[in-house]
Amino acid sequence: MTADRLPVEVSGGRAPLLEVSGLVLRYDTEVGEVSAVENVSFSLGRAEAMGLVGESGCGKTSVALSLLRLAPDNARYRSGSILWEGVDLLGLSDQQMRLYRWAEISMVFQGAMNAWNPVYRVGEQIREAMYQHFDPPLSKPETNQRLDDLFRLVGLDPAVQNRYPHELSGGMRQRAVIAMALSCEPKLIIADEPTTALDVIVQAQILEELKEIQEDLGLSILYISHDMAVIAQVTDTIGVMYAGKLVEFGPTREVFRRPRHPYSFLLLSSIPSVTGPRRRPVSLEGTPPNLLAPPAGCRFHPRCPWATEQCRNDEPPMMQIGPSQWAACWNAEQVPEMGDQLP
Amino acid sequence: MIRYLTRRLVQMVLLFLVFLTVTWFLLYILPGDSVALKYAGNPNIPPEAREVALERLGLDKPVLIQFRDYMFNFFQGDLGVSFNQYPRPVVDIIGERLPRTLVLFLTALVTYYWAGFVAGKFLAWRRGNRGEMAVTIGGVGLYSMFLPFFAFMLIWFFSVQLGWLPISKFLDPEQWRDAPFAANEVFMRLFWVTLLTAIAMFMASLAAHRTRGRMLERILRWGGGALVIAAFLFYWFGTEAGQGMRIYAGDIAFHMILPVLTLTLINFAGVMLLTRSSMLETLREDFILTARAKGLPEGMIRDRHAARTALLPVATSLVLAVATVIDGGVITEAVFSWPGMGEILISSVLSEDIPLAVGAFAFIGVLALIGHFVVDVLYGLLDPRIRVTEHG
Repeated sequence: MTADRLPVEVSGGRAPLLEVSGLVLRYDTEVGEVSAVENVSFSLGRAEAMGLVGESGCGKTSVALSLLRLAPDNARYRSGSILWEGVDLLGLSDQQMRLYRWAEISMVFQGAMNAWNPVYRVGEQIREAMYQHFDPPLSKPETNQRLDDLFRLVGLDPAVQNRYPHELSGGMRQRAVIAMALSCEPKLIIADEPTTALDVIVQAQILEELKEIQEDLGLSILYISHDMAVIAQVTDTIGVMYAGKLVEFGPTREVFRRPRHPYSFLLLSSIPSVTGPRRRPVSLEGTPPNLLAPPAGCRFHPRCPWATEQCRNDEPPMMQIGPSQWAACWNAEQVPEMGDQLP
Repeated sequence: MIRYLTRRLVQMVLLFLVFLTVTWFLLYILPGDSVALKYAGNPNIPPEAREVALERLGLDKPVLIQFRDYMFNFFQGDLGVSFNQYPRPVVDIIGERLPRTLVLFLTALVTYYWAGFVAGKFLAWRRGNRGEMAVTIGGVGLYSMFLPFFAFMLIWFFSVQLGWLPISKFLDPEQWRDAPFAANEVFMRLFWVTLLTAIAMFMASLAAHRTRGRMLERILRWGGGALVIAAFLFYWFGTEAGQGMRIYAGDIAFHMILPVLTLTLINFAGVMLLTRSSMLETLREDFILTARAKGLPEGMIRDRHAARTALLPVATSLVLAVATVIDGGVITEAVFSWPGMGEILISSVLSEDIPLAVGAFAFIGVLALIGHFVVDVLYGLLDPRIRVTEHG
């Protein structure tokens, strides 16, 4: 069971829409090669919501941008593949890739403020995407009709499309971004920190609506977030990333109930629980490693309270733990129990 | 919008009054007896004749009365008569010189802003290729060149060594000996035809910018441009009015090549570097990433998203450049013996031809104010964030 052909089973046996395997992405910098994404594999089925969580700089956004091939110019794909319905996106020409963008995979960017060009009306910016991707092209009334419908779908007055981005509130802007992401009928939406910049109430509303839209339209969504609470609310499966590696993968429920990697365990323990048993939140000591020179063995070992000699020397592969849960830890079987020994 | 425009107009008028007052008094307190020195051209004229002259020019009255009379006459369109070219009215002289300056400097301004913007756009877009280094170094080298020196070098090379272009002046007297037109008539025609052509060009590219189809955009951009140029050529070659004037207009245009070239070479690098840095900044914005994610073609990302947004600071710098159109030509006009406003400014101040000097300054002030106003409105059109709303 190598990391190369991972959790097809997780998506319930359905043929996956997206299959990332053994993705290695490094950034060329003046001081050396930054190992941003290291041997990451996962798959995502139709109408499925998956979450990628991890600290800032753990590579989750790099993974997301790779799906659209939008990583910065100094990114180098060392190995691996990104199969979209069987086609390797990394092997396409720029021209071919352009046709996949937005029409198949679209994205809700973090910080909706900056996702809009300040000099064009909101509707115009959505129209230009629709103009590129519908074949045969939509007629003018069809386009207008579709725009109105999209705005209603995300809970906005269709009149908003004639406004400029700076005339909208944060929540409206984010809703319009979602409308834009839906405009070309994509099969997958990548939501990169879709609600971080918003206040908690708007955040909850938007997540709720996004989930409804996803279920109604049968979309797949890949949520990227550092916020476990957000991920728990809206995803079916979850991948936990640490220092460029996927360290745990499984159904969201399972991972939350019984995390199998010490990192996920500690992340979850750091959230104070209102309804569960009373306990002190645990803080995760230390800082993520320098990816110019990642530590030998398990990348998490310098911060892991249970690290053994083996962890310091050998890199743990992804291992199947439960029926559909995977973790890259030598002591995965004992993780939750060991947690009870924490002070 | 209407309220904003009215307020701006009132502000402009007030500012102009202040400007005119200050200018008038500054020139009034210039030392020297302009009448004795210049009008009669002779310090030994009899006192009686001198009295008569002073009275005729109104210089015997108290200063405040003179000022009151001047202002009163000014707003009736009477700027007085020139001391040096007595009794030629100042309005007449300026009316002759202004088109010459405008034609030359507007042409240069449009040329070097256009060249600078396009060059800067491509420099930022294709960052890091070998051409970039050469263009940047070359541009900065030219930018730091001392204008008179550079102008003389070009004159030496193109006019003296190669003999391709005229050395100076704005027309060739030989050719104009029996001309049926006054030079100014030709200048005015040249000014309007060129202005209309430029506006039509701008409209065509604006229309192209607004369309979404790539084919349609190309047709509009190139077809529209070709149509405008065809109309321009048709005017000079096809119509009776144009044909008659063509040789003379051509002669003037021929004399303009060298000064426009000089101004363009020296100034375009400033615009280019500004555009480049503005564009590089824009390219780092998230909305560029969004545009890419939307699968837009690269040319569209470059022109519609990056360059269009990067245009804003460039438009601001245009405000400052508008002033140079009118007065910054002093040195250039001197080097090329171009008889425009710059030449009036120098000669009238040096010879204490006060009415002409005040008149020239007044016109420069009016043009600078109008230029700023136009660019302000233009800027509002370019950037919706600062567009004036009804309650603004």
